[in-house]
Amino acid sequence: MRGITAMTLQSPGFGGAGVLDHNVSDLVVEEPGRFRVHSDVYVRPDIFALEMSRIFETSWVFVAHESMVPNPGDYCTGAIGRQPVIISRDDHGEVHVLFNRCAHRGSVVCRDERGHAATFRCPYHGWMYRNDGTLIGAAQRSGYPKDFDTWGLRLGAVPNVETYRGLIFANIAPDCEPLSERLGGVRRYVDAWCDRAPDGEVTVPIGAHRYDYPGNWKLQMENGVDGYHGNYVHESYANILERSGERKAADISRARNRVGAKNYAKGLPHGDGLLERADGMLGTYDTKSNPEYRQQIADAYGDERMEEVLTQRNIFIFPNLYLFESHIRVIRPVEVDKTYVDVYPTTLVGASDEFNRDRLTEHQRFFGPASFGQPDDIEIFVCAQTGVNVGATPWMELSRGLAREEVNEYGESVGHSTDENPQRSIYREWRKRMLNEAVKA
Amino acid sequence: MSAATQAVGKVERLLTVQDLLHREARLLDDRRFDEWVDMFTEDATYSLPIVVSDDPREPSLIRDTKAGMEERVFRLTKTLAHAQNPPSRTQHDVTNIEVRDTADGLLEVLCNQTVHELRNGDVFHVGLAKPRTFAARCRYLIAPGEPWRIREKTCLLIDREYPIYNLTFIF
Repeated sequence: MRGITAMTLQSPGFGGAGVLDHNVSDLVVEEPGRFRVHSDVYVRPDIFALEMSRIFETSWVFVAHESMVPNPGDYCTGAIGRQPVIISRDDHGEVHVLFNRCAHRGSVVCRDERGHAATFRCPYHGWMYRNDGTLIGAAQRSGYPKDFDTWGLRLGAVPNVETYRGLIFANIAPDCEPLSERLGGVRRYVDAWCDRAPDGEVTVPIGAHRYDYPGNWKLQMENGVDGYHGNYVHESYANILERSGERKAADISRARNRVGAKNYAKGLPHGDGLLERADGMLGTYDTKSNPEYRQQIADAYGDERMEEVLTQRNIFIFPNLYLFESHIRVIRPVEVDKTYVDVYPTTLVGASDEFNRDRLTEHQRFFGPASFGQPDDIEIFVCAQTGVNVGATPWMELSRGLAREEVNEYGESVGHSTDENPQRSIYREWRKRMLNEAVKA
Repeated sequence: MSAATQAVGKVERLLTVQDLLHREARLLDDRRFDEWVDMFTEDATYSLPIVVSDDPREPSLIRDTKAGMEERVFRLTKTLAHAQNPPSRTQHDVTNIEVRDTADGLLEVLCNQTVHELRNGDVFHVGLAKPRTFAARCRYLIAPGEPWRIREKTCLLIDREYPIYNLTFIF
């Protein structure tokens, strides 16, 4: 089944080399009652390269939150796949996603991660650009012909940029569906997530918790909607809550395993997914129980919508964005075995300062490189990154709950909160994109 | 008081502070975490900020009260914390110590700290058996007394706003 030769490894086959396509189609195997993914997806550099071109560089990907560039002239930098970009708000307030590459000889023109600038100046030969990407001038202009201005030189602009409720997405593919179409079914969950702010708006601060782990990016992608690992990976946190008298570890474990509660793992179309627990995430700060906040949400949206808004969810938007109760999480693949994860704790606009401060305090207890929860997840990704090199027994089993998978009226595959429905949705989409099927269709 | 007497006083104070910082480093590196917590006053704070700011919306890597420090030690010593299994072996080096009086009778101590860290294990495994180095500029507030105790420890990591893999040992 492995069937990957050294020859294929040497020829990544951008744009559709037949041999690799054939192999990619064998990497996700769905049979009655069983769903498996081949470990090659975590270790092969050619597959990583193909993921960058066929997933990251041809999908709507999250690039920044609007509150990171609140004012005209503000910018932040980032990457779409491997391509460096600048997210810039021009003097008229419009957001641009510009490729961070001088039109002259390829140098980046902006090296800060965040700042304020009317212009970007290339450090190499001084070419100067406005913050909307237009070229202001080349140094020592007389060396170029008279029609130089008509060459159309500028900072390249990502052709598709759209914002939904403060989330800025961009898509490099020239022809793509509108963002609203792409979001589709996940949009109502994004709405509920934003509406956790009484004013319907979240912001992020300057600082973020950021990770750099020596493992494949998909390990983080799979984990944020995994409701199965909590009892084992986060045993330490359950012990901490028991020690502090907040919750009994045995109760947390029981609640996770209970069948029939309002706890679901859902796989959505487009590779999106969510973990949903009406009773909260069993340990993280329970915003639902704060009476003042509940009243604010009831006043803002009505009693009926309140339950929907306050249902705690980890929402995944393929391929790189998570919305958690306390934060925005961005997955940034660097190499096949190197990944950055950026965690931006949110402020709920309209909630009291005290409430937001308490949320942040509790967030920091579980999330961040020095915290008591998330580093244990990261550690497991790293454990897996060594294990997946075993080629003799290469399969990942993602079959949990396949037999009890149900599709609801929204086209969502719904399972018990410990089931692997979201992971299956992720890999169905992954396979489709890697085979270029989504683009062909 | 003669200039010479003043100078001797300053040297004694510096040596006392240096002893205290060296003791802290030794306790951490020997994993005597309970004794480490005992070096702090009841109202102590232990912080690793990300952004130097008073904005309460800004996150920190660590912002512990003494209760938080005790929880941190509990996690390291009494629970199965995967990120510390195997645990970090550390070596805290303390340099560039400066001591100043503050208006309220505390001592402000500025110093630099370098922590060398390694987690034991199979050298073939990703993430294990690789030495890492962390550097920070630190500020302490120390309450003289019997014994001298730490009221505040704040460490500004050189890479505080950048991606970090595993900061679950005590800096």
